[in-house]
Amino acid sequence: MIRYSLRRLILLLTTLWLLTVLMFVLHQLFPGDTLTNMSGIRFSDGAAYQLAQQRYAMSHSWFSQYGQFLQALLHGDWGQSLVTQRAVFTDIMPQLGATLELTVLTMSLSMLVGVPLGMYAAVQQRGPLDRLIMGVSLSAYSVPAFWLAQLALLLFAVKLGWAPISGQLNPLFNITPHSGSVLLDILLSDSPNRGAAFIDALQHLWLPVVVLTIIPLTLLIRITRNATLDVLQQNYIRAARSRGLSDRRIMVKHVMPNAMQVVVRQLGMQFSLLMSNIIIIETIFNWPGIGSSLIKSIYERDYPVMLGGLFTLAALILLVDVAVELYHAWRYPQVRKELYADR
Amino acid sequence: MPTANIYYQQREPSPLHQIWLHMSANPFALTALYAFALLLVMMVCSPLLAPFSPDQQFAEHISQAPSWHHTGQIKFLFGTDDLGRDLLSRIIAGSVYSLGYPILAVVIAALIGIPIGAWAAMSRGVQSSALNHFLDVINSIPSLLLVLLVIAILGPALQHVMLAIVIVLIPQFIHGVYNAIHDQRYQDYVMASRLNGCSRWYILTRVIFPNITAALVMQITLALSTAIFDIAALGFLGLGVQAPAPEWGTMLARSLEHVYLSPWTMILPGLALFLTLLSINVLGDSIRAAIQDRVRSV
Amino acid sequence: MNVLDIRNLTIEIDSDNGPIRLVDGLSLQIAEGEIHTLVGESGSGKSLLAKAILGFINPRWRVTADRLWWRHYDLLALTAEQRRSITGRDMAMIFQNPSSYLDPNSSIGEQLQECIPTDDLKGFYFRRRAELKTRAERLLHRVGIKDHDTVMRAYPFELSDGVAQKVSIAMAIAHNPKLLIADEPTNAMEPQTRGQIYRLLSKLNASQGMSVLMITQDLSAIMPESKRISMVYCGQLMEVGTPQQLLEQPLHPYTEAMRSMSLTNHQTAAKTRLPTLTGSIPTMANLPIGCRLGPRCQYARRACIETPRLRKQKQHQFACHYPLIEVNNYD
Repeated sequence: MIRYSLRRLILLLTTLWLLTVLMFVLHQLFPGDTLTNMSGIRFSDGAAYQLAQQRYAMSHSWFSQYGQFLQALLHGDWGQSLVTQRAVFTDIMPQLGATLELTVLTMSLSMLVGVPLGMYAAVQQRGPLDRLIMGVSLSAYSVPAFWLAQLALLLFAVKLGWAPISGQLNPLFNITPHSGSVLLDILLSDSPNRGAAFIDALQHLWLPVVVLTIIPLTLLIRITRNATLDVLQQNYIRAARSRGLSDRRIMVKHVMPNAMQVVVRQLGMQFSLLMSNIIIIETIFNWPGIGSSLIKSIYERDYPVMLGGLFTLAALILLVDVAVELYHAWRYPQVRKELYADR
Repeated sequence: MPTANIYYQQREPSPLHQIWLHMSANPFALTALYAFALLLVMMVCSPLLAPFSPDQQFAEHISQAPSWHHTGQIKFLFGTDDLGRDLLSRIIAGSVYSLGYPILAVVIAALIGIPIGAWAAMSRGVQSSALNHFLDVINSIPSLLLVLLVIAILGPALQHVMLAIVIVLIPQFIHGVYNAIHDQRYQDYVMASRLNGCSRWYILTRVIFPNITAALVMQITLALSTAIFDIAALGFLGLGVQAPAPEWGTMLARSLEHVYLSPWTMILPGLALFLTLLSINVLGDSIRAAIQDRVRSV
Repeated sequence: MNVLDIRNLTIEIDSDNGPIRLVDGLSLQIAEGEIHTLVGESGSGKSLLAKAILGFINPRWRVTADRLWWRHYDLLALTAEQRRSITGRDMAMIFQNPSSYLDPNSSIGEQLQECIPTDDLKGFYFRRRAELKTRAERLLHRVGIKDHDTVMRAYPFELSDGVAQKVSIAMAIAHNPKLLIADEPTNAMEPQTRGQIYRLLSKLNASQGMSVLMITQDLSAIMPESKRISMVYCGQLMEVGTPQQLLEQPLHPYTEAMRSMSLTNHQTAAKTRLPTLTGSIPTMANLPIGCRLGPRCQYARRACIETPRLRKQKQHQFACHYPLIEVNNYD
């Protein structure tokens, strides 16, 4: 296990390093001045530009340029926005918090609802409920996320008025963002109307979370159902049955762990799918996360912000992927054998 | 020559034929297949089918409700948008952008990606495993993010979107083909023909390929669904096909401003997109189920 | 007294071109404390028969029988739940490829302890657990695994096939079943271990009166203690008798062919042709009508397109229109 973890972690570090190289190359590829793309300081800024030119070793070889760039990156100096002139790194961290808040809520909601429903559908195989669940999940999976968000807005926000149209919190509450996660910020703040603010935040939150949940939820239902069906047909389950073990015991001790193995393996992919939807949903709901700021920066050609956002999202996805794989290998030892076996 | 087949021989249907048998027993899969075929016909014949030009503006019929509404007119079956353009014509014409271009992108990506994937899977050693890790990484990053990256470099335009999608789909094809071949490559039957002295080329084309066709078809439906979604999403975000073109995602983005007054401009293009994606996903799903069933029954 | 009584058991599956009869009217009786050997080539339906007895049934199979009794229970009349509790209590099976019958995600110790009946355990939780563990260890010792700690902690993928088979034998005998069905248990083992397993099974048979249904492919490798042998070909019963009857004076051409094919039985001169049954086993989709041995039988005649009834002569049963020795007084 240690050997495997080390291998995975080294691979992760290599990938992250390659990502920084890619960023460096992209700075050269983007239209406009490379230094401006990198630092966010324009040529017209005069003295600051000269300073930055020295700081990023622009007159030296590409190698030393890259060295300086990497150093700045590791120190949290990701340049400044071309539009707002604010430091990119300090802006991105609360956005990351806001995005993570949506992500965590969505993933946990879809796991909590999707896995039991999938198992239920599998046990009821070909029953009316199974057909209903599978039919709904297949069609829900095909609904484009942005259309679903629009429909939800039209129905719940415009027609029914159950939720505000966009944003994270009513600005009247004046909560200073620290972590970016609005619920956490409210709990940590010392505002007198914390209770009201919390309720307001929940009202803003529920619609994007529900819309975002639909897709991972439907996929999880399908994956869980198929995995459970597969396990139910395995010899060891039938053998356990012929040994006279009770259905409940077989379900809990043998079917569930083996079916969950498949589900866990798919979680990394689910997460990356969720990330591509979150970019769109954040834009529609005007949620102050990384996704919406990324889209905005593409409109505004604000390269330092754009690359900061891309790097953070990509790193986040890779990290989650490795975390899922490590957990998978730790929890399900026979996977490790497949990994070591050289064919 | 006697034409009657006097020697009765039990023939196992080929993998593709088996999958077809399995699918034709499933009414949903058949419906999806017909729906997809219908969409294809609609796309190819779109200039003939559309009653009006998609850009023609009827100044006296702005935001006309669909014909089933009591204020609607039969002349504009699906109503008109805020500039008085016929929605039905725009949806039909939009299928070229929202279905035709993704198909084109998938075909190009498949033509490039499949041979590379096959080559990678048939080679072995460091280059193969390094490639595999690299592809794993690329595939763990959502395609939309990569497309956004390419758009950020090149700037929003239709041809750039196409290029971006092709670039993003190629690794997916390589990965899919690589895995499919890799799974077969160490099976005993492949080993047997290797021991028989068959050349690599023969093994790839005659021994392995028939056994991965179904997996390839599935990969193509998956890629198509991704491509359609990405083009529409980019159009929706204003980063893809630009505004006057009747692309479904762009139409959805435009409808956002008038959704309160004319909800049909949002619901109808979205429905078209949804049905297209649904038919493709149902197809892919039933092919996958058929493959699984075939593998299980062996 | 027969503990297991099967008459005319038929198993069919549906295929693209109509139903296929995998097992065609098999009858089998096992007396209490008997070791019965079922011999047949691969694909002859012997494993299916075993699974049908245990109720280990794939939903695609259709199992019918005139009679399927276990002691005084009519297994076909019971609900699945009742049937499972009876077969779970009284029967156990050892499988051909043991590793696929072990849950890959739980350790051997856990799975073994799951099979041990816990009714007579006393004391608190910890005491019971310790007792369960020693019982599991003792079981492993009985099947010849000395290194119990390693094996208990291992996961199925870490075991070799031989050890996995021993573990599944340990699991099978954990609750002292009345009938043990052993489906080619020694396939994955070297000859020494095979002897060990045979001795273990015959010891259990002698000391606890456990009946054993041994399933094997090879007529020459049957357990020396077996009382009776049933020959099966393509899902049809060919001949039933004591080992002596079958090996010395077979009545059915199939038994005769199998006997002459096992090389240990007679000396062959150099460069002579080895005796074989002509042709090959028909595929499942193209089973011949009537006696399924027909196309390969050198004595086959026109009558053989009808399935012969099982005839009996002094506990020696056979299903053939033209037995090798003319039998006069059969009932």
